[in-house]
Amino acid sequence: MVLASLSLASAQDSRMSLPTTVGAGSAFSIHSTGSGKAVLYIVGPGQALRRDVQLGESTYFPVGSLYNAGHYLVILVAGSSTDNGWVDVVPANTPANLSFLAKPSRLPIGLHNGISGTVYIFDVYHNLITKPTPVSFKLSNPSGSAQQRAVTAHEGVATTEMDSSEKEGFAKFEAQVDGISSTRVVEQVPGSPCGLTMIARPSGKGIQLATNPVRDCSGNAVPDGTIITFTESYDGAQSTADVPLKHGVAQVEIPAHPGATITVASGVVLGNEIHWQK
Amino acid sequence: MERIESVAPSSRPLPISLILMAALAVHLPLMLIRLPLNSYDANFHIFFASHYLHHWFNPWNTKWYAGFSQTTYPPLPQQWVALVSHIMGLDMAYMAVQLAAILLLVVGVYRFSLLWVSPRAASFAALATVFLGSESFLVYSAGQLATTSAAPIYLNALPYLFDWIRRGSWRAFLKASVLFTAAAAAHHATLLFGSFFFAVPVLALVLLDRQGGERTSVPAFVFRTVTIVLLVGAAIAVVLLPFWIALIHYPVTQAPIPHPSRANYILSPIWGLNYFIAPYGAMILALPFIVLRGSMTVRLRPLLLGFWVAFLVGLGGTTPVGQLLLGRAFEVLTMERFTYWATLLALPFVGLLVSELIDRFRMRAVIPLALAAAFTCAFAVAWVTIRQAEGASVKVDSVAAWLNRDRHDQYRYITLGFGDKISRLAVLTDAGSVDGEWNSGRRLPELTSNGAGSLSSSKYFGQAGLDALRAMLRHADKYGLKWVIVRDPYYDPLLKFAGWRPVDMLENNTITIWSKDGVPPAVPLNAPQMPPRWQGILWGTLPFGSSILAILVVLIPGRKQEEGRGDPAFASQEDLEPGRLVS
Amino acid sequence: MNKGRVLAVFITAATVALIAIGTLWPGKTALQYSGGKNLLRTSSTPQAAVENLGDEIRLRAWGAAYSSLGNKAEFSQSDFVHDLTGYYLSLRTYATLESFEVRPLHASSDQAEVRLRMHWSSVVGPFTTTRDLQVVKNGDRWNVDWPLVRKTVVPPQVIPENYLRWDVIYRGPGDDWGVQDVEAPHVRIVDMHPVQRAEGVVVLGELLNEDVVPAYVSVRATLQSKSGSPISTEGSFDKISHILLPKQVTPFFVNFPNATLSDVGSIRMEPLSGLVSASAGPVIVIENQQLNPAPGATVTGQLVNQSGQVVNIAHILETLYDKTGQVVWVADQYTDHALLPLTPIPFDIHIPEDLARKVSSERTIVETYSVGGVH
Repeated sequence: MVLASLSLASAQDSRMSLPTTVGAGSAFSIHSTGSGKAVLYIVGPGQALRRDVQLGESTYFPVGSLYNAGHYLVILVAGSSTDNGWVDVVPANTPANLSFLAKPSRLPIGLHNGISGTVYIFDVYHNLITKPTPVSFKLSNPSGSAQQRAVTAHEGVATTEMDSSEKEGFAKFEAQVDGISSTRVVEQVPGSPCGLTMIARPSGKGIQLATNPVRDCSGNAVPDGTIITFTESYDGAQSTADVPLKHGVAQVEIPAHPGATITVASGVVLGNEIHWQK
Repeated sequence: MERIESVAPSSRPLPISLILMAALAVHLPLMLIRLPLNSYDANFHIFFASHYLHHWFNPWNTKWYAGFSQTTYPPLPQQWVALVSHIMGLDMAYMAVQLAAILLLVVGVYRFSLLWVSPRAASFAALATVFLGSESFLVYSAGQLATTSAAPIYLNALPYLFDWIRRGSWRAFLKASVLFTAAAAAHHATLLFGSFFFAVPVLALVLLDRQGGERTSVPAFVFRTVTIVLLVGAAIAVVLLPFWIALIHYPVTQAPIPHPSRANYILSPIWGLNYFIAPYGAMILALPFIVLRGSMTVRLRPLLLGFWVAFLVGLGGTTPVGQLLLGRAFEVLTMERFTYWATLLALPFVGLLVSELIDRFRMRAVIPLALAAAFTCAFAVAWVTIRQAEGASVKVDSVAAWLNRDRHDQYRYITLGFGDKISRLAVLTDAGSVDGEWNSGRRLPELTSNGAGSLSSSKYFGQAGLDALRAMLRHADKYGLKWVIVRDPYYDPLLKFAGWRPVDMLENNTITIWSKDGVPPAVPLNAPQMPPRWQGILWGTLPFGSSILAILVVLIPGRKQEEGRGDPAFASQEDLEPGRLVS
Repeated sequence: MNKGRVLAVFITAATVALIAIGTLWPGKTALQYSGGKNLLRTSSTPQAAVENLGDEIRLRAWGAAYSSLGNKAEFSQSDFVHDLTGYYLSLRTYATLESFEVRPLHASSDQAEVRLRMHWSSVVGPFTTTRDLQVVKNGDRWNVDWPLVRKTVVPPQVIPENYLRWDVIYRGPGDDWGVQDVEAPHVRIVDMHPVQRAEGVVVLGELLNEDVVPAYVSVRATLQSKSGSPISTEGSFDKISHILLPKQVTPFFVNFPNATLSDVGSIRMEPLSGLVSASAGPVIVIENQQLNPAPGATVTGQLVNQSGQVVNIAHILETLYDKTGQVVWVADQYTDHALLPLTPIPFDIHIPEDLARKVSSERTIVETYSVGGVH
């Protein structure tokens, strides 16, 4: 209210001619009418400028003066009279930074649309570029194959989804806009063991149990540390051992019981069964 | 005949100013080095005071038990600490209030003793107060600010009670009423039990004295007694109204918590040392005199009986008396306060004994008496160092700093193995805890149903303590309990198997901070125990106001007889029953 | 005698009498602090001798307890103490004897056998140990012959260790906000159902770590009424293995005291998971595991630590299944002995009688705690 009434009171004294929009960080000038000295204030999101100006002349603002995109209030104060107006600072047209969110950072192989990528496009002053902008996504798998998607960003955001490959390893996920790129790494990990088998051989008074190298259904080696459960059942009793994989195999020694049935499992996946006769 | 002369009341008493100087000489240095901070409960009172400092009119304290009401504990000494802390900080304010209580006790004992014995003997009783083992024990080892503040106010009220009942002095009536009310505002239990141990003997003394000098008729005695009981009762009901409301709505029904003061001191000698030898000290040697002189002198019999009952109750589980007299309260109260009261009741006898010994043996008596007094005081003061509380050496500043940074204080915490230092930590940190040291104020079912004290000392309460800890950890999500700060690796297995993980270490890796994932931030509990605003205003006004009123009223000049003495029929040889052997 | 003297004598006599009563027949609290000791009981019977020994153990008055033994010449006081508190740090080390029962088994004029059942409290819960004691008469007193279990000696050997270990580096505060943080492990509830028990509702089930990294896991369950409003929320406490290695399955057990299943319309389950640093060791083999039918149904077996590291406390989680493979109960036990390398330690887990008949098979997993291994 105060500003509005001041503005009315000063209408006859001094006036400004303001540009409607200004590119973020671009140079611009504001012309005023009247005579004498005045003070020009520009107040906007995260920024405020003050300039002593000569009425009747143009005030020049060099490159980088206003860099945060948004709606700015411009006030010209000449003695007791004021004039005010608004200027919109818009993001620069050229992308300079990308914020790229790739999720998840780790997922099993062979998952359709399992990887999502979202990119936010910013200009050099970290203003979100809201005009439609073409974005290309590329997921390069360790085997050398790649998936590509071309998406147009709306309101500064572009999203895509990719499939995880059949081969374990670290995939490179890249988003590119106008020569600017950002890369993330997505770990594709083997699935549950597949065709889990073990072998048993006598070892002193016990049985030495060892799995064959444990792989998933795509042939990837299941990571070390994965728990393999051996169970030996005999005469209404049983012995069990949860053993982590080491170098791709799990092995353990358990007591030998003639007629025992030995099974192997990992999580909810069952493996082969051995009947110990010795 | 020679002995009668030696105890003649014409002997000059020690000047009270000299005795106060002695009290200052003994206790001021100990206060300046902040020795009471090592006691069990000093930090507890400072914690309460720190709340009054910041929230004088809001007794709901969210730092313990996810919120509890301080109206469950009479506030007077803690409010004084809070007020004085504006000048000298909380710690020194505590020392100042405690020292004032000690000085007031000297005056109180002198005036109370004047009812029973000669001014000279009373002055020796007051001097003995300076070295009293139970006082030093409560101040430096137990840290019972409330008990040690209420008792002197109460003792100072008793001579006025005597004057009112004996002579009907309205000035005395006013002073007694106001002082009794202030004593209740400092510690309600002192008033309740003090009525039996202290006031009833005084009333009995009035009856014994009623025929001598100014006569007191029985109807007058009854009228005056009933009048003051009703008035003081009403005043206490009003002044501590939020306390009574809390007590009536939420009576203490939790499972009894074991306390070693209820042990049998013969079967458990270490507790005998703690709760009998340390508080009584050399006074034990005077016990035969107390019984003999108290029995033989008619006028001293009420005092003897008051002492005897307090003595027996103070023995805890050594006799069945405490259990029989107190019933369920025996499982709630701690017994060392009864020992304290017993020693206060014994002081007139001690004064009498000292007076007679000095009059008879001069320096040959002075030296051993001085040694006995010094030993008693020194042993009780040193006891806190000889038998340190759990966590006495714990530094909590780094823990408080950790809780106060990085928004850790948006969750609640408990400590394990910190003993009574949890009060200190609570003063320093902004974070809230589900644990605490005020067992009667807690309402969380995990704590009240198991019969254990603070979670921080769970292991000392056996299965009950560990059950309480497990119950609380089980409901960590409900209370926003994310941090368990551990100084005792005893608890590590439980935390590990219950899904807690160590996230930080402090104080040269002697303190581990455990955390639980997925705990939501703490939210205030909308407890029904939260006092409404009007109660907060009453709580911040009336108890403290009662003490101000007491100071003003005591300054009103009284008649000479009101100034702290009974009829001049002191308990000297003249009162002995016919046939008593002088030796 | 005048009144004064009568009063003095009365007060003195009454005080002495009251102290005598309080000492000879101490009250509950006094007994608690004296460790159950009173002055009346001497070792004049086999039972009294064992009771006195129990009191001394409760008070941790090791010197007095050792001195009272009849066969103390056969071992040192240190052996005796370690037999009770463990030769290695274990649950026994910090356990306190809460109470004990004494039951005579048989007796003659100079010898008796008495069973001492000791109920200990420990940080993870109570446990009970039993010793059958020979008590022999020595003059007018009875002395206990303590059946010392000597320290297990592990033969000198080298046990190679190359456990896997996972460490986690989280994103830092200075990283760009688009930088990915490490992904929380993927876990899945593979079985869940509620059971009505006398003490309330219990939600049982199993949780699988589907991921290739270790997971900190927990399960939160909310009982909802038929109208959908929440009745109560509880979490799994210690009847779950909170650290799950890849492809490992843990049972879980969520207890709702005082709840009634008929009031429950639905149950909302929230499995929680987070990345943690973890180690794949030590491997514990469960041998000779046997389901012993009712009455007195138990699961028994032995734990063998296949690593060279001493496991101070082991937590055995027993998942019991019916014929259809559905979880019918989760039982657990903490070992009170340390698990030494390659040294079998027996266990004996009680199964509720009413469920024992339904149990067709079981699965055991073991969580371990080693001093210094938690940080």
